[in-house]
Amino acid sequence: MTRGVLMYCFDTEQVPYHRVANASVALVKQHLELPITMVTNAHTLQRWVDRPEIDFITVDNECNNTKLGLPWHNLERCQAFDHSPYATTIVLDVDYLCFSDKLLRLSGTAHDFLIHDRAHDVSYRQALTYERKSMLPLVWATVLIFRKTDRVRRIFDLVKMIKQNYNHYCNLYRIDYKNFRNDYAFAMALNQINGFGAYDVIPDSIATLPQDCDVISHDGDGLCYRHLNSINSIQGQDVHVLNKGFVNV
Amino acid sequence: MDINELKRHSDLSFDRAVAKKNLLSRADSEMVTVYNDHIFRADPLTIATATMLMEHRDSFFMLDANSNPVEIKDPKQFIAALVERQQAALNTYHQAYQSLRTLKE
Repeated sequence: MTRGVLMYCFDTEQVPYHRVANASVALVKQHLELPITMVTNAHTLQRWVDRPEIDFITVDNECNNTKLGLPWHNLERCQAFDHSPYATTIVLDVDYLCFSDKLLRLSGTAHDFLIHDRAHDVSYRQALTYERKSMLPLVWATVLIFRKTDRVRRIFDLVKMIKQNYNHYCNLYRIDYKNFRNDYAFAMALNQINGFGAYDVIPDSIATLPQDCDVISHDGDGLCYRHLNSINSIQGQDVHVLNKGFVNV
Repeated sequence: MDINELKRHSDLSFDRAVAKKNLLSRADSEMVTVYNDHIFRADPLTIATATMLMEHRDSFFMLDANSNPVEIKDPKQFIAALVERQQAALNTYHQAYQSLRTLKE
């Protein structure tokens, strides 16, 4: 049975996401030792030269979404089921840095779909706590682990339908944030496909480095970051890095 | 006391507290383990429950991390896997914690 990692990477004028992906790919190779498929567009593909360790899929991506006032092209994730060539797939955000083999362990279970329902701010200022009026249990679509079953196909089909009718579903679930967000779309889909009840999740929390923290060094084992006058480090644990400036370090 | 000295001491304590929380978070993540296709947490409760049940039965049932039932047919192997995972996580935490404690002010 094949296992592999699927990533989505589309450069914007502001952020060279392919450089973020390069850092992530190196860590996947080091800690997971799995094949990698990168879904990208023709423009971004030109940035990669002679990368035989990556299988590329080129698509015409949608470009009509923003995040924090900047273009944010991450609208293709609902097609991961169709894009993935693997029987078991780990979908990763390109800014999710693997410093452990945790995902490798989790990809060998009987579960056909796993996702995190918790994330925490590693600087412990509760920077990821968002006020909201919805009682929809949130998930973080930063990492998905799935197998190609009929049930999982239905989950992805439902995410596509939610994406097409996003305003309606936001109204239905009392979500004020009207820009498309994969986290909400997967949360709604999982809520519905599981009969509005509980479902199995990855039982730990995503360590997340907030946007206002600067990475000052990183290697294959971890990273050091600064927030104001505080310097700290994360070693041996996967980290979701929101500040893409780390590629310049 | 010099207020600047107090502030510096307080900042250092905060940084240490953040570092300790991150080390604990890492240990928590490392304790997530997979046994017979199911996800378990190699935490004290799981280990203690399995050890207690092994004294009374040759095989038994446990709940995994998502409350799904799992038959444990080889308790010794199961407990050994949990203990190995938990101790590896705590050993890493212990080493890092020692370094943290000896950080000079």
